[in-house]
Amino acid sequence: MIREDGPALKVEGLKKTYGNGLVALSGVSLEVGAGRFFGLLGPNGAGKTTLINSIVSLARPDGGDVKVFGKDAFAEYKEARRMVGVSPQEVNLDKFLTVEESLLYHAGYYGVEKKKAKERAEELLERFALIDKRKARTSTLSGGMKRRVMFARALVHDPKILFLDEPTAGVDVELRYRLWEYIRELNRGGMTILLTTHYLEEAEELCEEIALINGGTIAAQGTKDDLKEEYEARNVEEVYLRVVGHDVA
Amino acid sequence: MTLLESAFNRSFRTLLGREILRFVRVWTQTLIPPLLTSLLYVVVFGVALGGRIREVDGIPYLQYILPGVALMSLVTGAYMNTSTSVFDAKRERYIDDILISPMSDAQIALAYTLGGTLRGLIVGVGVFVVGMPFAGASVANPLLLLLIAVTVAFTFSALGAVVGVVAARIDHVTFMTNVVIQPLAFLGGVFYSADMLPPALRIATLFNPIFYMVDAARYATLRASYMNPYPTLAIVAALAALAFAGAWWAMNRGPNLRY
Repeated sequence: MIREDGPALKVEGLKKTYGNGLVALSGVSLEVGAGRFFGLLGPNGAGKTTLINSIVSLARPDGGDVKVFGKDAFAEYKEARRMVGVSPQEVNLDKFLTVEESLLYHAGYYGVEKKKAKERAEELLERFALIDKRKARTSTLSGGMKRRVMFARALVHDPKILFLDEPTAGVDVELRYRLWEYIRELNRGGMTILLTTHYLEEAEELCEEIALINGGTIAAQGTKDDLKEEYEARNVEEVYLRVVGHDVA
Repeated sequence: MTLLESAFNRSFRTLLGREILRFVRVWTQTLIPPLLTSLLYVVVFGVALGGRIREVDGIPYLQYILPGVALMSLVTGAYMNTSTSVFDAKRERYIDDILISPMSDAQIALAYTLGGTLRGLIVGVGVFVVGMPFAGASVANPLLLLLIAVTVAFTFSALGAVVGVVAARIDHVTFMTNVVIQPLAFLGGVFYSADMLPPALRIATLFNPIFYMVDAARYATLRASYMNPYPTLAIVAALAALAFAGAWWAMNRGPNLRY
């Protein structure tokens, strides 16, 4: 496994309060080592998506610092964003584009040269079994296919860190296993992965390190084994329940 | 890399390309209806009523109205393109893919604005070219007319970007078209000279930005205008700059775009 020096992601004191007064992040600090498989867990509304959105400037944090491979996510946003791939929680495919165009246009937005974008798109269409649907408009696809296109789209500009926000939500079991396998393969190739998920078995299965976010703060963080030991838990689910305050009897 | 190269880089060109692809792909909704509607104006107002009105300011009626009618389609086309494109992208959140890309907010605003500008120009020039044989008109200063057309389309396209971002519902977008832009266009001296109005209305007309645009277009086409054309051109350019500043703000700070 390739491990680079320095963290892939360093978040310090990130704060975000929404206009309606909801405090989504109250001083979150987090460090994700390069090449790690990192899980971000927490109940609904804990601040997981806000944290990801703040890193990629989709949310405007009120304070704090974010560095992606040493590049400031705000002051050096062009360099920082080029290294990040995001597969969001909600399907957000451009309905005017075909499957293949979704990948090519995304690559273009990231400044990827045309020839390279075509090669990479071809590779990803093949990898995600989308070749037959390459000319289909994204609006005509099934839910699972849309998820695959979003995944391929997040990868087409060759990011160094991949944010997966609930990537297997609403996906059937077979596709979930295939996506898991593919994510593992990417991680083995050196890509840093930050995964948020509701499925605790997904975190158990995939992540080396886990942070539990609750009420806008990091409630616990460590390797899976350290957390289990610290909370005297048999699995991630028990750790989760103890940290978010619903102890298992 | 020069500043120009970095501003018009591949990211920017891709988004502009996407904007053009969008309106070309739905050409039956974006290009044909405005052309048809404007030609109906030419037929009804020019050919049918023109026989009775004959001349305004010494110019045959159809010739007199053609620059304004073309400009009306241009304004609506440019505005509708950007407002609906941005609104759709925001509602279905595929604009996020653009907002998290390495593009600057100014590049995003400019790519959307130029996409709408081009659609406005295609429709406006189309109406003008098709209407010309009916009107028997020629263009006194084609370069100036093109400059005015580009500036006006740019202004309304940028305004469309602002509305697309700010609008919470699609009816906010159409409200602007039906209740603000269309009435201003109709009252902007397309079909009559401001001289024909009673004094109070004539003064009110001076507060209508579309009036200046129509007047400038008429000057470039026919060398006839109500106002002195040069201050008018300055006003049109200032409005374009103001609208683009708005579009830039919208991409950077607009509600419901970046939370």
